Amino acid sequence: MSAALPIPVVQFCQVATIALAAPGVSGVIARVEARLQGRTGPRVLQPYYDLAKLLRKEALAPEGASWVFLAAPVAAATCYLTVPLLIPVLTSFGLPLGYMGDILGGGLILALASFLVAVAALETGSPYAQLGASRAKTFGAITEPVVLFVVFTVALVTGTDLPYALAATVRSSASQIVRPAHLLAAAALFMVILSETGRIPVETHTGTNEFGMIEEARPFEHSGPYFALLKWGSAMKQLILYTILINVFVAPWGLAASTQAGAVGLAIVALLAKAAALGVVVAVIDNSFAKLRLFKITEFAAAAFLLAVLGVFTLYLGGG
Amino acid sequence: MSAVAAPSVYAGGASVIAVGVLLAEFGMFRQALLRDQVRLYAAQSALISVLAILVAAVRHLPELYVLAALSAGLKVVCVPVVLRRLLRGIGAGRTGEVDPEPGWTEIAGSGSLSLANTVLLAIAVAAFGFFSVAALGIRSPVLPPTALAISVSVALVAFVLMIMRRDVASQAIGFLSLENGISLTALVVAAGLPLFLEVAFLFDLLVAVVVFELLIRVHHGRAESLSTADLTRLRG
Repeated sequence: MSAALPIPVVQFCQVATIALAAPGVSGVIARVEARLQGRTGPRVLQPYYDLAKLLRKEALAPEGASWVFLAAPVAAATCYLTVPLLIPVLTSFGLPLGYMGDILGGGLILALASFLVAVAALETGSPYAQLGASRAKTFGAITEPVVLFVVFTVALVTGTDLPYALAATVRSSASQIVRPAHLLAAAALFMVILSETGRIPVETHTGTNEFGMIEEARPFEHSGPYFALLKWGSAMKQLILYTILINVFVAPWGLAASTQAGAVGLAIVALLAKAAALGVVVAVIDNSFAKLRLFKITEFAAAAFLLAVLGVFTLYLGGG
Repeated sequence: MSAVAAPSVYAGGASVIAVGVLLAEFGMFRQALLRDQVRLYAAQSALISVLAILVAAVRHLPELYVLAALSAGLKVVCVPVVLRRLLRGIGAGRTGEVDPEPGWTEIAGSGSLSLANTVLLAIAVAAFGFFSVAALGIRSPVLPPTALAISVSVALVAFVLMIMRRDVASQAIGFLSLENGISLTALVVAAGLPLFLEVAFLFDLLVAVVVFELLIRVHHGRAESLSTADLTRLRG
């Protein structure tokens, strides 16, 4: 038996898990990807060393950039630290702050962070950063309808739009898992996550200067601690999206049902294991497909849209 | 707004397979290579056989096993083999030289709209089929109404595929997959039909394959290409 933790501590643990584990998940993906290609690859802890190195370095700003350029990385990181309060990271029951916002609220905060990074990229006047920001917003607008239809599916399945409610519904019976609406929405969300985290087939994650860059091009002009915050932020965004897919849609098991220290500890381990497993899947996809040409990304988004729309359709006949 | 209750595991699973058939149809729609289109057609036919086996097992309709086996043998094995052989033969005849993958590299033209736009158009057409069938209120004793609505969507998307594509082979595959949609409909509304009738319908497919084979050969012999673009000048 272990002691029950106070609610605020559990709530803090949700944020701390995402913040501290996020670079590690990126490290696991990079490592697995390298192994699949027959390379030794970087250490799993390499992203932490990278962040520590960047945090010690000097920060420079381009001439003419205003305070927005320096404020955006901090504000974006703050946004990414807020979202874990709203989603089921560790507990299967809603924590008090979890009802501050629903799925749309979480999506709004994630979109705000991405908007701030894009504004900072526009501040620089650098062509590459601007190109990345402009492309990220363009393709973000194309994947937005998919996210909306996934939210509609969740709303029709649960009668609410709280992530905790969908996780509980999925856990309730096998018939909730095999229903086509659930499977289609989960698949569509996975495709959106691939696109939002800058993975193949939308973008190469480990690229240098190249014309296909989208998300990776935005922080080109940032340096030192600010660049570290942006990198950390994008790792946190990735883990947040993985957590939403895993703990809300695909495998909402292993969450703590009480605030016992043991149960919460187990939930942290389970989340990390599930995120690493999803990371391996992403690494396999990274290695099995080619990057789409920029003008073909709309086709990828159209396929995701098809899945999400079919999910809503099947629900309307009562068969979904 | 209240939640939509989940269907039973059987109904949910059957609907998922039906959705898989529709997604295979969309896959054929997007696929540029004829080889992959033929593969998707085989996969789609296999899904229909799986659905027939599922219905047979759960609803105790033993003759559906026979239908599933016949349908799998014909549509998963025979028709794809015939189509592959046909396309390979045409490729060799076209270039007259050694080509590592003759015929297969033919890119199927997708008309004047961009692919993403045609997919959106196909989604709209599928939605029309889906909701118009829902409005009819046809209930089947063996399968959920979703499966029937999806089968009509499959047939309509197959029509869109045949309209948008400009090469004869894609149009033939569109027609054959249209027949898959009809098979799915038959499974939903008439699973209890006498086996003799079902098999007779199945062998109608062979006639279609022979006709299309002839059509493709004749067209290719005249136009030296699979494209139907040459036929436009026949307009009055």
